Amino acid sequence: MSDPILATPFPRRAGAALKDDFLQEALTIATTKFIDLRKEAFATLPEGDALRDRARAIKEATLQRLDHYLGQLADNVERLGGHVHWAATAQEAREIVLRLCRDRGVKMAVKSKSMATEEIHLNEALEHAGVTPIETDLGEYIIQLAHERPSHIIAPAIHKTKGQVADLFSRELGGQFAADPEVLTAVARRELRQKFLQADMGITGANFAVADTGTLVLVTNEGNGRMVTSLPHIHVAVMGMEKVIPSMTDLMVFLAILARSATGQKLSSYTTLVRGPRRPGELEGPEELHLILMDNGRVRQIAGTLREALYCLRCGACLNVCPVYRQIGGHAYGYTYPGPIGILLTAMLEGDRSVKDLAHASSLCGACKDVCPVRIDIPRMLIELREHLDRDKIAPWPERALFGAARRLMESPALFHASARIGRWLQRPFVSAGRVRRFPLLGGWTATRDLPAVASRTFTERWKDLR
Amino acid sequence: MTTRAEFLDRVRREMGKTRGLFPAESAPRLARPQEAADAVRRQLVERWPHALDRFKTEFERIAGVFHRVSRLDEVPAVLARIAAERGVREIIAWDPAALGWDARAALEPHGLAVRLAPAGGDEADRRRHRDDAARAPLGLTGVDWALAETGTLILASGPGRPRSTSLLPETHVAVFGPSALLETLEQVGMMLEARHADPALAGSGGAINFITGPSRTADIELTLTRGVHGPKEVHVVFVDGPGGAA
Repeated sequence: MSDPILATPFPRRAGAALKDDFLQEALTIATTKFIDLRKEAFATLPEGDALRDRARAIKEATLQRLDHYLGQLADNVERLGGHVHWAATAQEAREIVLRLCRDRGVKMAVKSKSMATEEIHLNEALEHAGVTPIETDLGEYIIQLAHERPSHIIAPAIHKTKGQVADLFSRELGGQFAADPEVLTAVARRELRQKFLQADMGITGANFAVADTGTLVLVTNEGNGRMVTSLPHIHVAVMGMEKVIPSMTDLMVFLAILARSATGQKLSSYTTLVRGPRRPGELEGPEELHLILMDNGRVRQIAGTLREALYCLRCGACLNVCPVYRQIGGHAYGYTYPGPIGILLTAMLEGDRSVKDLAHASSLCGACKDVCPVRIDIPRMLIELREHLDRDKIAPWPERALFGAARRLMESPALFHASARIGRWLQRPFVSAGRVRRFPLLGGWTATRDLPAVASRTFTERWKDLR
Repeated sequence: MTTRAEFLDRVRREMGKTRGLFPAESAPRLARPQEAADAVRRQLVERWPHALDRFKTEFERIAGVFHRVSRLDEVPAVLARIAAERGVREIIAWDPAALGWDARAALEPHGLAVRLAPAGGDEADRRRHRDDAARAPLGLTGVDWALAETGTLILASGPGRPRSTSLLPETHVAVFGPSALLETLEQVGMMLEARHADPALAGSGGAINFITGPSRTADIELTLTRGVHGPKEVHVVFVDGPGGAA
């Protein structure tokens, strides 16, 4: 899918974000607040570290018997009266949803926040097919009205001011609304309440799916997940296949750490366990439930470099602590999933070539790994990705040439000593106060960073005298 | 379109290529979940006052409003007061069998108009109920469990206990007694495992909702706002005495 955002190269997108004063302030406030809330939440949970180890082990154990758990999940969903669909690609997943809409004459679908449906660009496909998709998470609703994309996994409209939202609502919904979150939230409640009651289909993702019981689990704060799964006649859940977990006992381990990692809450306001369609005697709930289990690049990572990224719970904690995300925000990454984990997920879904630049949008400081509720080793995988970009000749040739030359220099003591002498001579016109501030052909580096100058005497030269 | 067999074959093929995996196990399951659940219930017969203290603290921390009465027949007066303070006259309530008491009979003498969720019915009943639920400013329910460590109400849906009663009205009031209290998420896991293993209960209720405070959002400039889609207020009326409604 061609994307206007990606027409601008990543360094330029990042550069623009750095110059956006409002974005800078919003990012600092939001990420700092999320970091503090998370810290407090884990401070009151002495068993937090043990729970994280357990959660990690559950994810790994599930992957080691993934075929079994997926089969069991499908059997149980069907036993409860649901339908299970298997989608190898984003294209297939979209087609399944569109076919359901077509066969059942669906005109409007309400959606609760779902990264999986963002990932497959479902809204565009629905609109194209004449179905109106309505995002019902307040943040998603705002960016849908603004025709933008989420800039944070759990706070999609983090980049907008209340003034911008008030203008947007006034323009799109007709009215004159004050720039007051309370007022704007009430406006959204009124607008969306009608949609919930009118819609023919509810579309969700799933935070977890319990194989043992066939239960889909949705975690929300607003209650839109409950609306979407209670009121329309048809419920469609689109889920990455790695979201399956074995049992209810396992689910409790994840619930104990998910909200704490995401928003610092002990539990989110609503955790909804959906067990098939409406039961006999129930007056509410969908008559039909469809679960779409999606591969879309995931399966090949079971034995791939990015295996651990399949543990991800989509909590967003790694975004908040990332020194790169904190500076450039979500949009500059250019894809559905931003932040450190986003780089890995983008490589997983779109291929290594798509992260040619993004793989370097990390200082490898390891803060992401420290906060990850399932301890995903993001820095290790980023390094491996960089290695592959070099190996597969995806990295730009000057970069490969430069690092190739550096390697040859370091492998040969004679060349290395010679290079120090040549370097001292070459750098002379460009050095000021011990730093190289610009250098021919290295503008990409020196535009934002200084290069340390080659010392007037190398260590080995001094060592000879000292001895 | 990809079939189940094709999809799972691909998964198996990739699984076959993995090597050097660290040994990992999912959380240990209880061999006899019912017995474990019974053991928890027995412990709580003694311990519930502690659990209640914790519940109250956590529930109030997330903006829940806690009321406590000693007998079930005091509940209507509390509800009448909550309704009066909000200028509300209409209430939608769970069916008497689901609630454990007849809300209409108990509340109408207080001047409140109570609509009961029917325990079953046809498409016309369904539509009527939905209109009632969408209009009612106050929803009255029981709970299956109340989780102390997070201040969470857990409600399974079913005939006469619709999911929307705790969702569509601006105010949700849940009434329960000591036997609903649980202390930890782990215990909730046991109860859910026990429920799943119980053939009589395994099929009931299409949805189980964990409700932790009012509906909330911070999507506009991280300003916490309540009642974005669901209730703005959640109240608990805890009934100590015999005839606890849970």
